[in-house]
Amino acid sequence: MPTITIFKHDLENLLAGPGEGPQPITIEQLEDSLMLVKGELKGQSPDTGELRIELQDSNRPDLWCCEGIARQIRAKRQGALSKYDFLTTKLKSPKRLNVAPGLEKVRPYVAACAATGYLVTQEGLAQLIQTQEKLSEMFGRKRRTVSIGLYRLAAIEFPITYDLVKPDEASFTPLGMDTVMTLGEMLLVHPKGLEFGGILAGQDRLPFLRDAKRQALSFPPIINSRESGEVRVGDDALFVEVTGTDLSMVVLTLNIFAANLADRGAVIEPIEIRYPYKTALGTGVITPQDLEKSQKLPISTIEQALGQALGAQKVANALRAYGYRVATKGKHITVTLPFYRQDLMHAMDVVEDVAISRGYGDFLPEMPSQFTVGGLSRIEEVSDRVRMLMVGMGFQEIISNILGAPQDLRDAMRLEGSEWGQLVEVDNVMSQNFSALRQWILPSLLRVEAASNRAFYPHRLFESGEVARPDPTQSVGSRTVTVLGGMIAHADTHFSEAHSCLDTLFYYVNQTYSLEPIQHPSFLAGRVGSIISEGKQVGVIGELHPEVLERWQISVPAVAFEIDLTELAER
Amino acid sequence: MDISSLIESLHPLEIKVLSTFGASPSAILHTEQLAQSTGLDPSQLSMAVEWLLAKSLLAVDTETSTPIVSLTKTGELYFEKYSPIERVLSVARDAAKTGMRLTIQDIQSREGLEPTEVSGAIGRLKKEGALLIIQGGCIESTSRPSPTAEAMRGLLQELHRAPRELLAFPEAQRHVIHDHAVKRGNAREPFRIDDRVARALKLSVTGIEAIQQLSQQGTAKADNPPIGGQRQRQEMQAKIADNYSQQAAQTPLPQQRKLSALIHEEISQLTPELLKDGNWRTKRFRKYTISLRAPRIAPGKRHPYREFLDAVKTQLVSMGFQEMRGPLVETEFWNMDALFMPQFHPARDIHDVYFVKEPTHASSIAEPFLSQVAQAHQHGGKTGSTGWSYPFDVERARRLVLRSQGTAVSAHTLAAQPAVPGKYFSIARCFRYDQVDATHATDFFQVEGIMLGEDINFRTLLGLLNLFAREVAHAKEVKFLPAYFPFTEPSVELHVRHPKLGWMELGGAGLFRPEVTIPLGVTVPVIAWGLGLDRMAMVALGIHDIRELFTDNLDLIRSTRGAF
Repeated sequence: MPTITIFKHDLENLLAGPGEGPQPITIEQLEDSLMLVKGELKGQSPDTGELRIELQDSNRPDLWCCEGIARQIRAKRQGALSKYDFLTTKLKSPKRLNVAPGLEKVRPYVAACAATGYLVTQEGLAQLIQTQEKLSEMFGRKRRTVSIGLYRLAAIEFPITYDLVKPDEASFTPLGMDTVMTLGEMLLVHPKGLEFGGILAGQDRLPFLRDAKRQALSFPPIINSRESGEVRVGDDALFVEVTGTDLSMVVLTLNIFAANLADRGAVIEPIEIRYPYKTALGTGVITPQDLEKSQKLPISTIEQALGQALGAQKVANALRAYGYRVATKGKHITVTLPFYRQDLMHAMDVVEDVAISRGYGDFLPEMPSQFTVGGLSRIEEVSDRVRMLMVGMGFQEIISNILGAPQDLRDAMRLEGSEWGQLVEVDNVMSQNFSALRQWILPSLLRVEAASNRAFYPHRLFESGEVARPDPTQSVGSRTVTVLGGMIAHADTHFSEAHSCLDTLFYYVNQTYSLEPIQHPSFLAGRVGSIISEGKQVGVIGELHPEVLERWQISVPAVAFEIDLTELAER
Repeated sequence: MDISSLIESLHPLEIKVLSTFGASPSAILHTEQLAQSTGLDPSQLSMAVEWLLAKSLLAVDTETSTPIVSLTKTGELYFEKYSPIERVLSVARDAAKTGMRLTIQDIQSREGLEPTEVSGAIGRLKKEGALLIIQGGCIESTSRPSPTAEAMRGLLQELHRAPRELLAFPEAQRHVIHDHAVKRGNAREPFRIDDRVARALKLSVTGIEAIQQLSQQGTAKADNPPIGGQRQRQEMQAKIADNYSQQAAQTPLPQQRKLSALIHEEISQLTPELLKDGNWRTKRFRKYTISLRAPRIAPGKRHPYREFLDAVKTQLVSMGFQEMRGPLVETEFWNMDALFMPQFHPARDIHDVYFVKEPTHASSIAEPFLSQVAQAHQHGGKTGSTGWSYPFDVERARRLVLRSQGTAVSAHTLAAQPAVPGKYFSIARCFRYDQVDATHATDFFQVEGIMLGEDINFRTLLGLLNLFAREVAHAKEVKFLPAYFPFTEPSVELHVRHPKLGWMELGGAGLFRPEVTIPLGVTVPVIAWGLGLDRMAMVALGIHDIRELFTDNLDLIRSTRGAF
């Protein structure tokens, strides 16, 4: 979900199209129109006209820029997308970019175009750079699958070569530095080399873009040359290239840039890429290129999914106004995505675009009519019952994090190395406080007790909640169990106070139990028992060990019990 | 009221205060002196004095008031976690070091502060020249000191130890205190200024009379002649003890009760013995002052947040939803793959999900779901989709994580032959790899579910959301906005106008993509929905920090009324 910054008057100019006066839009109208792009206005500064917009759809990189948002709104206002001539004009001898053999194993694909006649403004440049960053970061998975380079066309002589060289074979002055370096040195010292060098790890030869005069353009996907690879305000001829590991994503990214620059008034000149190896689009690939992602589907599919009979005409109009090309034939419709989109996987994607184009407000909510019976799970019923009993016995319910600290769950309970101290632990720990799932519930109760010595006594606390217990017999290595824990703390408390409560609980859940003396490090020896029911151990009861109380800095005696409700619920 | 019934109605605390004057009825005593000689704590003493003043037994001779500064709850919070002005300044200075651009909104969201807190702090810092607001609403530190921020720390520390007289502070600090003291309509300030009133009190004419009567009563009814003032004091002590038994639920010592009964034929407690032998007929029962505040008890009760969730649970059941449960530890398969989130999806990154340390992988994943889901990802399988076109990694699918979304529970249900038509919900604990702050918890509940049926479509989806808006949020106005979730298409965000909160996002929903349902064996359309109820819960519980939902403060849990 990228958040981008755009300028209101830039948007207004783009809404009108190149050469036209700006088309004003109020903030209210904008917020309304943002529904078309799943966008939300997150902030604005009226003095500068800066708008911050969050875009939700991670499959629509074309919308992560001012041009794309304007394009979607413009299509809706005009009822269809404007024409992009460069997709259809056939060039007799297009400019060329030659790919060197061996790149198929390193970074196989490239797409490029030239854009002339658009005078780069301050804001236009800021947008170009923002789009470059967002696309390579989020869509290009941090440049791994897609990275983008922008250059001054005037400094470049065609044909360009997408080459593969040894780290010390090529050198140039990279952006952000003022000395000539080899590619290998850039990986070692340049900030971008350090950040993105991992993408090329293990390669003994590196991608290198150069022109016909062997002038360096860039070291993709790391850094551009300072000479040709730094676009400035006032430039009116640009060269754009995209390299990457996924051909359709590479072409799509270039298509988005071509559309953006065309929307700003540039003339796009396609470039022919010549591959020495086979690609899904052949060995000679003209870019930008309309990949014409299309689908044929029955109108009824759309109508059924929407719950509304719209008819072919309305469906077709809605999709055209959303940028699609549409052909209807009988009861079917064939839809083709605009060239800057590839996110059509299923008919349902078309269904949503029809709904968005018409506006969600256009659909009347209808109450689902089918009858169903509601109810709680068995374990929730048991839990609710014992909760009410605990409340009746004067216990205050608490609620705690399940994710806790091993120190609290195990060490402060004197359970290091014991069977009760086994935990489901987190691998990627952010904070020790949240690094293991609780395996029992008493530490949660002690947490409250430790913080509440000023609350008047007696303290009777309980929690009924989930814990996770390591269990090698389970496929996921642990079991989630719902457990009831109760604790009583005050100056005169003792075992039998807790025992009475336990006895009462078992009576009212209609189960029998017995206590069997055990050794348990968390409790005082001789004052702790395992709760046995139907021959199974279902819990523990006892007086908490003074050392446990000390570690929690609790200054009154406490007795507690814990019952495995999952076990009781399964009976 | 005549003097004797006036005396009869006296509370032991009042008698105690009056008796201090007993020796010298014309004395003028200060509140401190009274406190010392009665040994009462300040609240008891002030209660007794107020009553006596109201009964015109005491009169105020002179009155002086001293302003005292103390910390409010907000102040205590600032003491622990720094005040907005300190935090804003420190963020701005950090940003200046790293050269980062910082907007007011950044500060708000990063620090979890209220807009008014931030704007107040920035306004002051700007005035003091410690901050500049530059183009685009960005904040820049001038690295000049802020007298307010500096004074604030000292004041918070000092007042945290104990309240203090306002005049004890130097002029500059007094200004800061005044500017940040609780005033009408501005409850979120760290300081409070209260006037401590010191009074000099004397007996009124009636008061003197009452004192005399009291001591005579004592003499007349005594079995033995009094030795000095001892008898009188004893009687008063007995009376105090008796009346106290109502207030503090303490039983008076037996000899005191006996003494009292002897003197007055008056008792405080009806006993089984008195009922049995009928002797209660010869006794007088002491009258209680029933306007006293009742002693506090701590009842057993549900946790207020759990109570809120119970209400949601009941509502969902009443709408025909069946509860589902699922494990805390999940495979990436059920947590994400089954929901058609591609394995390269950014939210599957190490920075969003907690991974399990041991074992790292599940031993197996149930078939045919594994193969069918893998096919859906790779090329669509039998779902009519093109799929994500990437090699599905079964190893990755088996990786164990802590459940990060409740939808994982729904995915299990889809694979377990759910009823058609059917409605299901879960209130599932989920875990996110997130920095914990006032609005983000790492461990939280998600309320979510599904609805299956032949008649499910986009309009019935909106209908269901309408129902939620009405029944759960009691909202009369709703808005449906297009949204994006990896597992639904179309997707909707439900916004409602909450009676207290205004427009807010209540939840997200959509029709499960066929790439989700078909591989799990479901062929009818399915609605997936999730509700974000924590904000509503926080309003119902009157808290501002999401961490307080799971607070360890027993006093707070006991005293929260909860949603009702």
